[in-house]
Amino acid sequence: MFICEDVSFNIDGQKLFSNINFNLKPQEDLLITGPSGIGKTTLLSILCGIQKPTTGKITYNSIDLYNLPENKIDEFRGKNLGVVFQNFNLINTFTVKQNLEIAVSAINTRKSIPLFNLLDKVGLANKSHIKVANLSIGEKQRLAVARAFVGDPKWVFCDEPTSSLDDKNANIIANLIKEESLRCKASLVLITHDSRIQSLINFSKIIRLGEQL
Amino acid sequence: MLSVFLMVVGITIITVSILVNQVTKDTFSKNNPGLDAVVGAKGSPLQLILSSIHHIDIPTGNISYQNTKEIIKHPAIKSAVPISLGDNFQNFRIVGTNKSFLKLYKADLISGTVWSQPMQTVIGYNVSKITKLKIDKFFVGSHGLIDTGDVHLEQPYKVVGVLKKTGTILDNLILTSLDSVWNLHSDTNKDRLEITSLLLKYKNKTSSFSFPRLINKGTNMQAASPSFEISKLLKLTGNAHRIVDYLSILIIILSFLGILFTLLNNINERKYDLAVLRTLGFSRWKLFSIILSEGMIISILGSTIGIICGYIIYESMYYFSIVGRSIEFGQLNFLNDLFLIWIIVNIIAFITCLIPCIKVYKQNIRSTLLNS
Repeated sequence: MFICEDVSFNIDGQKLFSNINFNLKPQEDLLITGPSGIGKTTLLSILCGIQKPTTGKITYNSIDLYNLPENKIDEFRGKNLGVVFQNFNLINTFTVKQNLEIAVSAINTRKSIPLFNLLDKVGLANKSHIKVANLSIGEKQRLAVARAFVGDPKWVFCDEPTSSLDDKNANIIANLIKEESLRCKASLVLITHDSRIQSLINFSKIIRLGEQL
Repeated sequence: MLSVFLMVVGITIITVSILVNQVTKDTFSKNNPGLDAVVGAKGSPLQLILSSIHHIDIPTGNISYQNTKEIIKHPAIKSAVPISLGDNFQNFRIVGTNKSFLKLYKADLISGTVWSQPMQTVIGYNVSKITKLKIDKFFVGSHGLIDTGDVHLEQPYKVVGVLKKTGTILDNLILTSLDSVWNLHSDTNKDRLEITSLLLKYKNKTSSFSFPRLINKGTNMQAASPSFEISKLLKLTGNAHRIVDYLSILIIILSFLGILFTLLNNINERKYDLAVLRTLGFSRWKLFSIILSEGMIISILGSTIGIICGYIIYESMYYFSIVGRSIEFGQLNFLNDLFLIWIIVNIIAFITCLIPCIKVYKQNIRSTLLNS
C-alpha cells in the first residue's frame, strides 16, 4: 500500500500545494494533472523521495519514507521505485547499455537481470553500444522507460513521458509503460496532460493539482 | 595523469634522498671501528680520514714508520694500527697492515687463514665475489690506487684467506702484511721504511684535545679526528640534502593540489551525472566513497610507483657502487622510513580528497537536476 498523508510543500514561505492525500493499493494507478507550474513535478519528486515535503508523510507498505536515514531513502528508491523523468535524466556520456548497467548496480541485487531482453522490448537492442548523446528523443525516452523498469519496481513514477513525442512514438511509449507495469505488477503514478496515454491506462485515482489548494 | 606523475616524481626524489642520506651516514659510521684519531702526512685532515678509514680519495703522503713507533709508545694511546697504501688489484686497494687491523673490524674468515708471510693476502668478501679470487690463487697488483698503473709482475700475491661479509669497507679491501708493501716499494734500509697512516684509539677520550695538538705542532705529521671531519662533511652535504628534500616536498604538495583540483573539476563536470546516480539509488555515502576512491587511487598509485622508482634508482646506485667501490651499502633500515612517508603522503591525500567528497555529499539532487 502506498499512502500519501497531508503532504504539502512551500517554496520561500509560499505554499505550492497542500493537503495532498491518497492511498494506492498494489497495481492501482494514479494520474496527477494540473496547470503548468502548479507543482506536479515537485509532488512527484516528493513521492519518490528526491525532495522532502514541508509537512506530511509518505508511506510505502508501512515504511515511512522520510523517517528513514537519508542514505536509506536513496537505497529504497533504487530498489523499489522506478522513475521516468520529464527530461529523461540519462547519463549522456554512457552508452545505452551502460545506463541500464548503472541502474542495476544501484539496486545492488544478486539477481541476474536480462538487460538484452529489456533493450529488445524497447527496440534498442541494436543500439546498446551507442552513447545516449547520439540517440533521438524517442530513443532516449524508450531508454528512460527501460531504466525505470530494470529492477522490477513496485511503484513507477512517470513525468510527462510522451509530451515531446509524435503520435507514433507516444503510442510506443504509452504501450511500453502499460506492458511493463503489468509485467512487474507495479502501481503507476503518472503526470501527464497527454490524452493519448490517459486513454490507454485505467487510472484508479486522479489528483487534479490546483483543485487541491 | 599529471597528479600521478607529480606524485611519482616527488616521492622518487624523496626516496632517493633518504636512501642516499642514510647510506652515507651508515657507511661512514660502519667504516669507522671506533677510531679516535688518524696520524698521517700533513695536508687536508678530511683527505687523511677519507683515504685511511674509508678508502676513498688519495692519501696525503707517507710518514716514517720509525717516527710512528714513538707515537705507539705514547701513554695516551690504547692501540695503534699502521696501514700502507699504494697498490690495487682491479681497483680494489691492497692495504699493508698488521693482524690488529682484522681485530679492529672484528673480522672473521669464511675460509683459509690470515697471512703468515709476505705476499700472502686476505681478501674481503666483495673482492672475492667480483674478482673470483679464491684460496691459493695468485694475482699481481698494479701500482697506484686505480687499475691503470704498472703491474708488479715480479712478485705476485697469493690468497690465503677470504673474509666474511662485514658490511664495511673491509669487504672491498685486500689485506697483506706491511712487509709485502715494503718489498715492492721500499729500499732495504729499515730506517727509511714508510707507511701511509696510523689508526689510533685513545685510552681516555680526554686525549682528543691534547694529543692531536701534540702531533700537529710538535712533528711533521698531522692527527685528524674521524668523527670531527666526517661531521663537518655531513654538515656540508646535509644542506644539499635538505634542499633536495624541500624540493621533493614542494613537488608532492603540487601533486596534492593537482589531486584536489582534478577532483573538484571532475565533480563540477559530473554534477548532473552524480545527481542522476542519486535518483537511481546511489546514496550520498556511496558517491562520497566513489570520489574518495578516485582521489586515493591517484595518491596510492603515485606514491607506490614513486617508492619503487626510488628503490630502483637506489639499486642502480648500489650496482655502480660495487663497481666504483667508493660507498659500501650495509644492512639498511630504510624500509621503515619509506613506509612512514608512504603513510603520511596518503593520509594527507585522504584529507585533501575530503574537500571534494564533502561537496558531493552535500549536493542537492533536485536543484542540480533543475539547473542542468
